[in-house]
Amino acid sequence: MNILDVQNLKTHFFTEAGVVKALEDISFTVEKGCTVGLVGESGSGKSVTAQSVLRIVPKPGKIIGGKILFDGEDLLAKKEDDMRKFRGKKISLIFQDPTSSLNPLFAIGDQLADIVIQHDRVKKDQALEQVIKTLKVARLPDPEQSLGQYPHQFSGGMKQRICIARALLLNPQLLFADEPTTNLDVTIQAQIITLLKDLQRDLGMTLVMITHDMGIVAEMCKCVVVLYAGHVMESGDIETIFEKPHPYTEALLKAVPRLDQTRKLTSIPGNIPNLIDPPSGCVFHPRCQYAINICMEKVPPLEDVGGSHFITCHRWRELQGGR
Amino acid sequence: MIDMAQPLLEVKDLVKYFPVYSRGILMKKVVGQVHAVDHINFAINECETVGLVGESGCGKTTTGKLILYLERPTSGEVLFQGRDAIKTFSKGSGEEKMRLRRAMQMVFQNPYSSLDPRMTVFDIISEPFKIHKHVSSNEWKERVYKLLELVGLEPYHAERYPHEFSGGQRQRICIARALAVNPTFIIADEPVSSLDVSIRAQILNLIMDLQNKLGMSYLYISHDLSSVRQISQRVMVMYLGEIVESATTEKLFDRPVHPYTRALMSAVPIPDPKRKMNIILLPGEVPSPVNPPSGCRFHPRCQYATSKCSQEKPVLAQVDVDHYVSCHYYHKFI
Amino acid sequence: MVALRRNKNSEKTMKRGASQWAVAWRRFKKHKSGLFGLGMVIVLLAIAALHTVIAPYPARPAPDSFKPLYEGEAAQPPSWKHPFGTSVMGTDVYSEVIHGSVYTVYVAVTVTLITMLIAVSVGIVSGYLGSYVDDVLMRITEIFLVFPSLLFILVFARLYQLRNPEPFWNIFGINVPAGLTMVIVILSIFSWASYARVIRGEVLRMKETEYIQAAKSLGASSRWIMLRHVLPNTLSQIIVLGTLTMAVAVLLEAAVSFLGFGDPNTITWGRLMEEGLQDLSTVWWVEMFPGLAVFLTVLAFNLVGDGLSDALNPRLRE
Repeated sequence: MNILDVQNLKTHFFTEAGVVKALEDISFTVEKGCTVGLVGESGSGKSVTAQSVLRIVPKPGKIIGGKILFDGEDLLAKKEDDMRKFRGKKISLIFQDPTSSLNPLFAIGDQLADIVIQHDRVKKDQALEQVIKTLKVARLPDPEQSLGQYPHQFSGGMKQRICIARALLLNPQLLFADEPTTNLDVTIQAQIITLLKDLQRDLGMTLVMITHDMGIVAEMCKCVVVLYAGHVMESGDIETIFEKPHPYTEALLKAVPRLDQTRKLTSIPGNIPNLIDPPSGCVFHPRCQYAINICMEKVPPLEDVGGSHFITCHRWRELQGGR
Repeated sequence: MIDMAQPLLEVKDLVKYFPVYSRGILMKKVVGQVHAVDHINFAINECETVGLVGESGCGKTTTGKLILYLERPTSGEVLFQGRDAIKTFSKGSGEEKMRLRRAMQMVFQNPYSSLDPRMTVFDIISEPFKIHKHVSSNEWKERVYKLLELVGLEPYHAERYPHEFSGGQRQRICIARALAVNPTFIIADEPVSSLDVSIRAQILNLIMDLQNKLGMSYLYISHDLSSVRQISQRVMVMYLGEIVESATTEKLFDRPVHPYTRALMSAVPIPDPKRKMNIILLPGEVPSPVNPPSGCRFHPRCQYATSKCSQEKPVLAQVDVDHYVSCHYYHKFI
Repeated sequence: MVALRRNKNSEKTMKRGASQWAVAWRRFKKHKSGLFGLGMVIVLLAIAALHTVIAPYPARPAPDSFKPLYEGEAAQPPSWKHPFGTSVMGTDVYSEVIHGSVYTVYVAVTVTLITMLIAVSVGIVSGYLGSYVDDVLMRITEIFLVFPSLLFILVFARLYQLRNPEPFWNIFGINVPAGLTMVIVILSIFSWASYARVIRGEVLRMKETEYIQAAKSLGASSRWIMLRHVLPNTLSQIIVLGTLTMAVAVLLEAAVSFLGFGDPNTITWGRLMEEGLQDLSTVWWVEMFPGLAVFLTVLAFNLVGDGLSDALNPRLRE
């Protein structure tokens, strides 16, 4: 069953310099109890997608079209007040930078307990109990001792554990993790990845992992959605996508250095497109080695190519056949 | 003639301690020391790329800055082409200093903050000529355009300002600026880590191509093991100011010995769904370099640690040709 | 493979890059209150430049400036003939305010130049060189900061007045009012310290940026880096601080003169207000119009400063 169904989502930012088309046409589904990777580079729209689902797109951004179905309910049709009850309780978000996402002026215990009190209208000691329980789940050493401490007293990895606990406080059904390990060291990243994997398995939670690292996706996710310049390039099973990738995914995989082998890196020419004035036709065509005239002229549709593999490419079938 | 046996750069017993102050009424008082770099030794040969890898705060960037005398070393020696670089930078004549500055250059991590926002690309790349005057002024223009071409930029880019470029293009400008003085040795401090995934390969390939064309040596500083493997011929692993393992790239990645190196490698996710990770989880976090652990600095996080590890400092021992490890029990892991 | 027109042409069309100054000016042009302030400043400059032409009566001490008195028009309220009224002495306030604008511009410009020269030198040298240079310069700065500056300004101004100096100095063939120039020097000496601190902070932040490190590793000297990189990059901050200094200088000079500590030989707006104070109950207009002029000038500089601050240091970078 799909817990999240995003259809033709369109979010634009109306800046002084022009309209930034952050999300042009985003459609994907997230199966309940599954880990889905949302992969893309900067400007691909992966963070904006999460913000749109939670309806916390910062100004001057605006969701201007599409549907977001959560358990069958359209989130875009909801009133702001109802939406507020949704956030944290049903859908929750872990941010990239744990340092700036915790308030430096309040002790951890108070900060987290406030969230429980606001949503569930319980007494403070009940709330603190819930906080301690959740901090234990996030494997923070000595949760009782930590309650009175302030964010700056923790290291980056510990802060991220606190942020994970904060996201889990109200037992959400869907958790977005927006590059949760990007600012952390490799060994700490390994701790957090392990933690998230275990949490997902033990709590049966649905996790959407937003990242630019194909390695993390390969390690953690069952399904992947690949984004580029506000468009879905492809979505499907992790194995399928690594086996029969979209030209963009293929190019990306050939361009990343790998720990387990030394090979010639094939770089992708050019730069990430300007979203105010995106390329015509397929957004990837100026950098695609397989591009032909149709790619420049016509926007390819998101097609089901079988085996729940969706692809936006004019030439994918032909290229797969030729292999 | 340069003696082939003599390495281009030799670092001997290099130490950097940063004092920790507490503010007194009038005078500052030293209350401790950050052991940023603690007695490290290594050498880099001509036309060689050596990777220096480690987590944040391990002292890898400080090492780079010490070699270039952007930080003053507490003690130790840096020999460049057999001559004492620290002495030249601190006491040498203006001409000697400038010659050494031209020989060694650095490419920085953040291409967004390493270009002066008020200067055009032309001004940025020609600044070395103005400082060193090693090229006559009527040749500047031609040289700037040649450098732009060398790093894959267009001539019309010269009149633009840094804010008009993407991260990858800016890093190309930084590389062009470093190349303007014809260096024989370049320190690249995380040159790709702030770039987008699809751009990284461009810059890594550029760095490697330039080595083939111009024949310089690199010290490639990074936390990213995969890119280190891609670019280096030899790799050194640093932990809390010390080098814990050093070997040729193949040996290090195929048969890592030090428990820290092995944990580090196990933690890197591989973009292949068929190869699941087998993470060796390290408990806790990197300890503070102000009061580093006694004995082996890695012992509080090492699963094999014994009482010997907490008391005795291991030395960098040779375990194979071109393979050195600083661990009491290295023979267990070979 | 089919040859492709890649999207390179659109990039080439915008040939010459826009400098940060051009970008800032574009932003300033959109700033309505800033533009309004700039307009007021331009009007002030025009009045100062053309004061002999615009003013109906000459400046004191020319005998003609007392013409209204001879015509029996002392202490007259505002009218068509005397838009700002006349004083008890029988001078035309409108003319006096116009003549006073010259001194206002003189004060604003010179105080700012001297203040900024000291503040920028101290701030950049102290911040960039650091160590003992920083310690020494900052202790000196702190001494100036803890002085009750207005008190000192008044004491020094009075001491100067008591020496009964010559009324004018001839500098480069221009007669400058000696007393007012002394007030300017005293004001400048007591107002650079806080600006030096601000600029030092900016330099400290900039010192860690990688382009300064890059210049160092290229072998650039400290002098080179301070002049080529640090100064141009603090310039936007300096310009904003400078504009605000102008407002403060005008206000302070008016206060000093109003309190009777100014140059007895120059009729500045503050001086006019001091004269008006003695007969406030009968001839309020002598007090009000110079006061209004001070108010509008200070407002204008502040508006421009605000606009420049938004244009030069936007929080949202492009």
